Parts: sequence; structure tokens; C-alpha cells
Amino acid sequence: MLFCYVALLPVVALFFYVRIIPIGFSFLLSFYKWNLISPRRPFVGWDNYLGLMEDENFLLALKNTTIYSFSTVALATMIALPLAVFLSRKSRLSAFYQTVYFLPVITPMVPVAIAWKWIYDYNYGILNYGLSLVGLPSVPWLTDPDIALWALVIMGVWKVLGYNMVLFLVGIRNIPAEYLEAASIDGASDWQRFWRISFPLLRPILLYVIVTSTINAFNVFTQVYVMTLGSQSAPGQAVRMLVFDIYTNGFQFFRMGYASAEAVILTLIVLGLTVIQFSLARDDNVKAG
Amino acid sequence: MGHRRSLGRRLGLYACHGVLMLGALVMVMPMLWMLVTAFKSAAEIAILPPVFLPKDWSVANFSGAFETAPFGRFFLNSAFIALVSTASVMATSLVAGTVFAKYQFPGRKLLFGLVLATAIVPFEAYMIPLYVQLVGLEWVNTYQGIILPYLFMAFGIFLMRQHVSSSIPTELMEAGRVDGAGEWWILARVIAPLSGNALAAVGIFAFIQGWGIFIWPLLIANDQLLFNMELGLTQFQFAFSADIGKLMAGSVVSVVPMLIVFLLLRRRIIENMALTGLKG
Amino acid sequence: MTRMLGRRGAMQAAAGAGVAALAGRGALAADVTLAVWTGYPELVPWYQAMAAEYGKAKGTKVTILSTSLREHEQKLAAAVPTGTGPDIFDVGQILGITFIEAGLVKPNPPAVEALLKGGAYRASSVGQFNTDGKTYGVPMLFSTPAMFWNKAFFKEAGIDGPPKTFQDKMVAAKKLTKFDATGKMTRSGMSLRLSGQGSGIAEKFRFILEPAGGTLIVPNGKGKFHQGYDNEAGRNALKYYVDAVQTDKVDDPKVQHDAAAFVAGNTAMLMREAWVIGEIKEKNPTLDYGVAPIPAWGTGPHKTLLQHNGLWVNAKSKNLDVAYDFQVFLCSKEASVKLTQMSGWVAARSDVDWSPLLKEIPQYKEFVSPDAGVQFYPEPVMAAWNEIESRLADKLPGAYIDPNMLDPAKLAAFIKAAAAQTDQILKQNDLYGL
Repeated sequence: MLFCYVALLPVVALFFYVRIIPIGFSFLLSFYKWNLISPRRPFVGWDNYLGLMEDENFLLALKNTTIYSFSTVALATMIALPLAVFLSRKSRLSAFYQTVYFLPVITPMVPVAIAWKWIYDYNYGILNYGLSLVGLPSVPWLTDPDIALWALVIMGVWKVLGYNMVLFLVGIRNIPAEYLEAASIDGASDWQRFWRISFPLLRPILLYVIVTSTINAFNVFTQVYVMTLGSQSAPGQAVRMLVFDIYTNGFQFFRMGYASAEAVILTLIVLGLTVIQFSLARDDNVKAG
Repeated sequence: MGHRRSLGRRLGLYACHGVLMLGALVMVMPMLWMLVTAFKSAAEIAILPPVFLPKDWSVANFSGAFETAPFGRFFLNSAFIALVSTASVMATSLVAGTVFAKYQFPGRKLLFGLVLATAIVPFEAYMIPLYVQLVGLEWVNTYQGIILPYLFMAFGIFLMRQHVSSSIPTELMEAGRVDGAGEWWILARVIAPLSGNALAAVGIFAFIQGWGIFIWPLLIANDQLLFNMELGLTQFQFAFSADIGKLMAGSVVSVVPMLIVFLLLRRRIIENMALTGLKG
Repeated sequence: MTRMLGRRGAMQAAAGAGVAALAGRGALAADVTLAVWTGYPELVPWYQAMAAEYGKAKGTKVTILSTSLREHEQKLAAAVPTGTGPDIFDVGQILGITFIEAGLVKPNPPAVEALLKGGAYRASSVGQFNTDGKTYGVPMLFSTPAMFWNKAFFKEAGIDGPPKTFQDKMVAAKKLTKFDATGKMTRSGMSLRLSGQGSGIAEKFRFILEPAGGTLIVPNGKGKFHQGYDNEAGRNALKYYVDAVQTDKVDDPKVQHDAAAFVAGNTAMLMREAWVIGEIKEKNPTLDYGVAPIPAWGTGPHKTLLQHNGLWVNAKSKNLDVAYDFQVFLCSKEASVKLTQMSGWVAARSDVDWSPLLKEIPQYKEFVSPDAGVQFYPEPVMAAWNEIESRLADKLPGAYIDPNMLDPAKLAAFIKAAAAQTDQILKQNDLYGL
């Protein structure tokens, strides 16, 4: 017992100092009106929250972020799993693929987002050039309000795919070979082996992948910032997302209290989703058990 | 029959490789573009339609970047910040992860829940209050001020807890206790040696995070000598335009170390982690 | 020994007294280090050159810190109120007024006020740095848009010179727009701001709204404001954009835009500030182009936006006297000429001899000494301005490409709703009044 407290003390102290206190203060700020610079900071009660309920930008950001997150998480999971299954086989190229697919995870976002902007360019981007090679028409990836969000989804998938892949790969390698061999002897096909043996054993990792990618997706910011910068870019409303809106309110309009209220709501949403995901998984386990 | 089936399988395999190769191309394309652009002249970057490969490979952007700002210093700062953060994250994750996994004490669930829940809050929302706290400490414009929020990582604590609880048998620890070992000894001599690969994974994530931090050092570093690579790159973003060539040259310099670290440790993260992973 | 010590002591005492005397007179101490922060990395070479000169003259050390514009503003917002900011910083007036209101920038001392009011600046500039009868900060950059036009393209299309009215501009643009065989636009006749995010979109909307006789907000003379574009001018300005994209097809969100497009020869006309000249010089020096005033609306006057980037002394600076002195030094005639030569931005002083610069690059004329007939409309100096422009900017790109906007009733409804939002923001900030 004493050991627990002694061992945890430095971490917990640090944790309170750099997380709990500033986050608590920021949440408190959501009941105030403050422009960041002025010493005046009047208490406004629930005004910031009520204002948000009528703020079309906030509601739009909520909608866009939800679409973005669910699409990114679903796609990145559905592509990463078969990828990991394929790469888990012994192959000379496996190491190469692993390296290349993991590359985006370790690259800083700002320069990479600038590069993506060029890839998406309607006239000169390599993506439309690729489409033209197979006889497909050019797509205004960024400037068309109906497409821009999906361009960001593609980028989001690109960024996290390698991470999910590695997690699944670890999971698959951890499946005892005897289980699969036993199933082979029983005459199960590859497909059956995957669904009956591998997949159930991958469940905890699947849950983990979904939870972490949901949290990350709801916090998307840099891509939005870069992709809407300048004139050859996505229309702001098409890709307005929550952290971007928080940033705009807090640091462009200097409405820190309002931005804090928005951050509280974002936190509650993601927290709620995480709890739901965990409890769904638990229900499943109970049924399976 | 058997022969035909293996032919079909082989074709399927080729198709898979084809798709994977195409995917691989998509994966590296932004980085490739960064790389070739870094070697182009300003005129060649602006000219349309663009050419993928520069006509004359020029290192002017690289030398220009290093002339504009002390990028050598920025590089060392990035490395210093990332390494200190990584070391601390690994240590705190090991200790906290173990305690959360193997010890019972009041408030354990609540505390662990808090650690995970606060990781959800976007940093942008609370960085100003944190800044004000550091003003009180007089840590603005210091290395310790830059590094402080990155000394531990909720994700690292979570990973280590998962690892310790699933793959380190409590009996091993009990055995140590029977022999009269203290808890710190058990942590250092029983748990740490069995956690090398999980710790390496935590370290990698800490390093990625520490190398890429931007918005916090932006606030807290007031002296160019404290800038890291990511902050240095703002030198090429002008009011309404950017020096793309130098920006990309700087980005290449900032990505390369990550790449080297990853290439060196790739087997360790992916393969070794799988070997020792969740067998308990 | 004693004699030597005594002498050294005396020398120290004398030096100390000298410093004290200087400080007492509000003059300079050589052991001071000033910190300057800028949001314009392209100004750093100039700042460094000025700091070196100043250091040589007065012995003061100056450090320059630059980050990109938005990041710079964020840094200032965190640092200045907490006393961890620089001695001097440059920033636009919208953030400037926020610092003034919070008491973080003090009224100018006599030396700075004398510079500001001594005829070195245009009256329109001086007026912008006035709050409640006192002056704060000094204008550093004088930023107005003008119209860049590609001479080669005009010649090729058989058009004599730059259009004088927006109506003529549309006619010219139609002749200047090019399409490929599949009907895809390859060169826009005029490059408008059609996509993206942020106040810049609304700012470019004002390039047409103001000449057409409208304005985003109108002062009521009692310190309050209300919207000024739910009217004929507002509808005309929007219709101009909608026509350019949908009816006359002289611009398209899909083609390349802005300075990059003009530099690369992918548009024939662009309304932008002086810095584009520097871009052209660096990236396509053989481009044959001219710069003309922003067109007028029909028979109306020529009008163009006037923005200033100011130079401010932090009220919490520990070396206020030195900081003000360096601020004045940065605004000298010599420094102003160098600023423009080194960065492409136009210095705010109007009493500078620009002829050497104009001899080298005649295109600067419209920026450094605009036509006497051109009227300036300034940026309203209020903290809420960015929000007012940005929230309108959120709506505009969608409208430009919306076919519904071809219906005058729907266009009018759009303008009405946007203007109502402007009033709403003014109300939230206690700035609304008819």
C-alpha cells in the first residue's frame, strides 16, 4: 500500500499539475466570458452552452466531425485488418510493406498536409492524373463542398492505417499456432479459420483500435487547418470540425470561455462514445462466454 | 485439380501484391513529393504544369534553410526534448502501469479512469491555463517548461498496464516477495526485464510525440535558441505565401531522424512485441 | 595599489553616474536587451539589419523572434497579459485594440506622438491609431490592394489597358478566359477569392462591396454600429461574384488562384497587395504585368481597402524608454525605404522618396503613392471585427457556387440572413446601435 502511494506520487503530482488543474480551470472558464487578454472575466452561467446550441457553426462542426470520425474509424479498421492478416504470413515483402504503411504514422502532419493539398489539386494534382490514366474524369477534391470532407477522410485513413495494422499484426502473431493448426486438421478453410478462431481472439485489440482511433478522429485539427488555408483550398464550412471550431473561437475570435464550453462538450461526447464502445464489447463477451 | 488451384492462388497472390504495391505508392507519395520539392528551385516549384522530378537537383533549399535560421540548433533541441520526454515517459509508464495492474489500493479505478479521460481533452482547450501556471513557476522560455507536459503519457501508462496485467504472472512477484525482495526490487528486477519490448513500443510513441510537438513550444519558447524543428519551419510560412522549397527541405530534415529510428527499431516494435506479447 | 584601486573605483562611480544620468533623462543604457516579436518571417532580415544599426549607434542589443502570423498572434495573446511578452511587437490593429483595451499598450509618449502627428503619415493612417483621443502604437505597414493585370494576355486579347470599372472588368475577363477542348477552364479572366476559410474571403468581398456603395458595418456616430450591406450594393456585390462564376464563367473554384496563379500566368487579373511584386520577382521575373487602381463601380469613385500593421510597445516592458526609442528608430525614413526594398511590403510613412524604388520597379507606384482620386476605406478598429468578417466568410463560398443565387429573391434572402448575423455579433459585443 505504502509502496503504491510512494511510487505513484511523482506521476500523480505531475498529472495533477499538467492535466487536472489546467483542465479543471478550463472547464470552469466555460462559465465565464473572457477574451484571453483582458483582466475582466465576468461570470455568465450557462450562457456559453446555450449559445452553442444555437450556433450553426458548432452544430455543423458536430455533424462534420461525427461523419468524419465514423468514416475514418470504419475504413481504417476495415482496411487494416485484412492487411494485417495478409502481412502476418511469411513473405519477403512483408517487412517492406510494414515499413511503408507505418511511415505516415511517424511523419509530422503540417508538411504532409501541404503535400496532400498538392496531391488533391484539381488541375495539377497527381491523384487526378492517376484517374485520367485509367480514363476517369477529374474530381475537384478540395473545392467541391460535397467532396472535401471525404478528401479529409482519405487523409485520416492514410495517417492511422499503419498504426492499426501494427496492432492487429501483434494480435495475430499472438494467436497460438496450435489453435490454427488444429482447425486446419479439422478441414477448416482459411476463411473459416479467420472468422472462427482469429477474429474472436482479436476482439480486444479491435476494441482498442476502435477506441483509440475514435478519440484521435474526434480531435482532428491540423489537416483542417492546412486544407482550408489560402484560396486553393476546401471551403471552411465543408470541413469545419470541432477542434478547429474551438481553435477559431478561442484564438481567432478570442472567446476563450465559449471555446472552453465547446471543449467540455467535445470531451463529454468522446467520453460517452468510449464508455458505449467498452460496454458493447463487454456485452458481446458476456454473450460469447 | 491441385495444380490449377495453386495457379489460381498464385494469381490471387499477385493481385494482392498489386493492390498492396499501389497502396504503398499512395502511402509514400506525400513524402516523395516533399523530397523532390526540397530539391527544386523556386521557379521550378511555381511553374505549371509541374514536373515531378527536378531538372537540376539543387541543395540550395537545404543550405538556404540552414542560413535562414539555426536549424542545427533546432535539430539538437528536438532531439533533446524528444529523448528526455521518452526516457521519462518510459519510466513513469513502467511504474504507474505496474501499480495500476498489480496493486490494490483505494482510488485505483478512479485515478486510472481520470488518467485516461483527461487524455481525451484537446490540448488547445487547456494550454492557456497551463501556460499561466508556468508563468508562476517562472518556467516560461526554459527547456523544463517545454518538456514538463510531456514527462508522462496516459497512453503509455495504459499500454504498460495492459502489458503487465496480461503477461507478467503475479506468482513471479510473489516468489520475489517470499525471498524477501522489496517492491522496488521486484519492479526493477522482475517486471522491467520482462517488459523490454512493451517499453520500447511506449518509447517509440513518446519519441514520435516528443519530436513533433508544436503548439506548446510555440507558446512557451520565446527565444529562438529553444525552438525545435517544427517551430523552425514557421520561418518559411509568410503572411500570405510560403517558401515551399525551404519548408520542404526543413521538413525532410525533420522527418529523416524519425525514419531512421523507425527503421532501426521496426523489427523490435513489431516482431518482438508479438513474441513476448500477451502470452500470460 | 591604493591609487590604482581608487582610480578604478572612481571610474566605476563615474560610469554609474553617467548611466544614471542618461536613464534619468529618459535616454539609453548600453546594457539593455530588447526583445522584438514579429508575425512576418519575411521582415526578419530587415529587423536584423535595423537592430544591427541601432546596436552600433546606441549599444543596445536587440533579439528578433519570428513565427508565422496566426501563431504569432496566439503567442502574444498568451504572453503579453502574463508579463512574459516582448518589449516590441508588430501586429494588426484588431489585436492591437484588444491590447489597448486591456491596458497592455499605453498611450504614446510625446516623442512617438510627435512622429505620428508630425506629417510623416497620411491623415488616414494617423486616424487609425487613435483611440478615445489618444494615440497608441505606430503604423508600420501600409497595405492596400490594387489590380495586377497581365499585359501579354491583354495584348493577345486585343484589350488596350486595364478596365476602369467593374463592369468593364467583367467584359474584359470574358475575353481573357481560356478553356481547353473539353470545356475545362485553363486560365481565369479574373482571380477572385472563392474558397477556403477565414476573414480574407469577406475582405475580398468588400473589394467589390465598398466601391458598389455598401459596407459591412456602419457607425451610428455614438460609438455603435450596424450592418451596411443588406441593400442594393450588397446584392450587387454578391451578384457580381455569382455572375463571374456561374453566368459569365470568368473564374472557377477549381482553377489555380491568387498570387500563385498570377505568377504562373494562370489568371489575367488579380486584386492583391504589394507583396505579390516580390513573388513575381522571385518566381517568374520575365512576367509582363501592370498594376492599376481597383476598378470603380459604374460612375462611382475608385475605392480601396486600407490596412495597417502596427508597431507596438508592450506596457509591461522593463525598458520602456529604450523600447520607444527603438520604435521611433524603426520608423525613420531610411528604415522605411529599406523595409520596402528588403521585404516587398510598403512602409506606412508617406513622406519617403520612393523614386529610386519606382525607377527599379515601376509597378510599385499604385502601392506607394496611389492615385489622388482613390479613396481609402479603413478597417474598423474593433476587437469583434475578425469574427464579423470570418462568420460572413463562412457563408460566402457556398453562395458563389449555389445555382439558387441566380434567383434575385433567393440572393436577397441570403444577404439579409448574412447581414442579420453581422448585427447579431455586434449585439453580442454590445456594439450594436442604429
